[in-house]
Amino acid sequence: MKTEKLILSFIATLLGLLVAGIAFYVFQATKIVAPSNTKIISLTTPTPMPAPSVFLTLDRPKDEEVVTSKILIIGGKTNSNAVVVVMTDSFEDVITPTNDGNFSTTTSINDGQNIVEVTAISPNGESATAKRTVTYSQEEF
Amino acid sequence: MFKKILSLLLIVNCSLLIVAPPAHAATPTPVDKIQELRDQLITNIASRVAQLKLVEKRGIIGTVISVTSTQINVVDHHGNTRFVDVDELTKFSSPNAKGAYGISDITKDTTIGVLGLYNKESRRILARFVSVITTPFIIHGGVAKIDDENFSISVTTVDGKQMTVDVENLTRTYSYTQSAGYVRSGFSKIKENYNIIVAGASNINDKNKMTAVRIIIFPEIPASPKINSMLERIQK
Repeated sequence: MKTEKLILSFIATLLGLLVAGIAFYVFQATKIVAPSNTKIISLTTPTPMPAPSVFLTLDRPKDEEVVTSKILIIGGKTNSNAVVVVMTDSFEDVITPTNDGNFSTTTSINDGQNIVEVTAISPNGESATAKRTVTYSQEEF
Repeated sequence: MFKKILSLLLIVNCSLLIVAPPAHAATPTPVDKIQELRDQLITNIASRVAQLKLVEKRGIIGTVISVTSTQINVVDHHGNTRFVDVDELTKFSSPNAKGAYGISDITKDTTIGVLGLYNKESRRILARFVSVITTPFIIHGGVAKIDDENFSISVTTVDGKQMTVDVENLTRTYSYTQSAGYVRSGFSKIKENYNIIVAGASNINDKNKMTAVRIIIFPEIPASPKINSMLERIQK
C-alpha cells in the first residue's frame, strides 16, 4: 500500500513537470516582441591602416654624433623609386637612390650643432622622414 | 737501542713539521717586479676602457623646459626630456649676448645646443659647452592655396597642420622633376596640390605662420594621400 502511494506520487510529479514544460514551450513559441523593445547590436571590425608605401633607414650620420670633420656623409636606404630630400641648416639636395634603394650624399656642416633632416617621398606622395643632430667640434674634454 | 730508534723517529717527525717560508716573503726578484707592474697596468687599462665605454662625447639640441643653478632640462627633437648637468667648467655662449653669458641668462623655451659627456648608465649629459642656437623650421606637405597678391602660400603638412608660408625676395625656390632634375624655380611655378618642402623661420607671434628661406616643389608628385581630403576641403 505504501509502495503504491510512492509510485503514484512519483508519476504525478513527472506528469506535472511534463505539462508545465509543454505550457512554457507553447508560451515562448507564440510570444511576440514589439520592434520597439528589440535592440540590434552590430559588431564592426576596425579597418586596418594601410602600411605606408615608403620606408627610410638613415645609416649615417648617427644621432647626436660629434664629428671632427666639416665634411659629412649622409647615407641610408629607401624605396628605389622614391626621391630623397636632404636638408641641413645651410644645404639642401634632392637625390635618387640606386636600384637597390641605397643613397648617399656629402655636405659641409657648420660649427657646433647641425640638424640633418632626410625625407623620402614615394611617387604617390607618401613620405618618411628621419632627423639627426650632428655636432662639429675639435674641443678636447 | 729502542730508545735511540724512538728519539730518531721523533726528530724526523719534528723536521716534517717545519713549514717552508711563503714565496712572497722572499726577496722580490726583477721578474716578480715586472709581473707586478704588468698586473697593475692591465688593471688601469681595464678601468679606463670601462670608463670610456660608459661615457662618450655627444651633442644635442633641445628646448629648455626648466633651469636650476646646476641643471638644465630640455626636450629634444624626438620629444624626449633630457637632463643636462652643469658645473664650473661649463662654458655658455649666445650670439646675441653683448657681455658675459651664464646659466642665469638661459630662460624657458630657449633653444640650446649642448656639447658634453653623455653617461650611458645615468643617461645624463655633463655639459662642457652650452650655446643658444636657432634651428631651421622645416615643413613638408601639400600646397592648399596660393595668395598671389601677398606672395604667400597655404600648406597642409603631412601631420595635418595648416601653415601660412610667406615668400620673400630672398626665398630660394627649387623644383624637382625626373626629366629636368633639381633646378631653380620661382613663386609663379608653385601650383595647388604640389608636394612641397619649406625650410625657414617660424613666426614668434603666430605658430601657424612662417617665412620661407628655401622651398622645394615636386610638380610630378602629388600631395600625400593622407591630406587629400583636407586639401579638397580648403580649396572648396
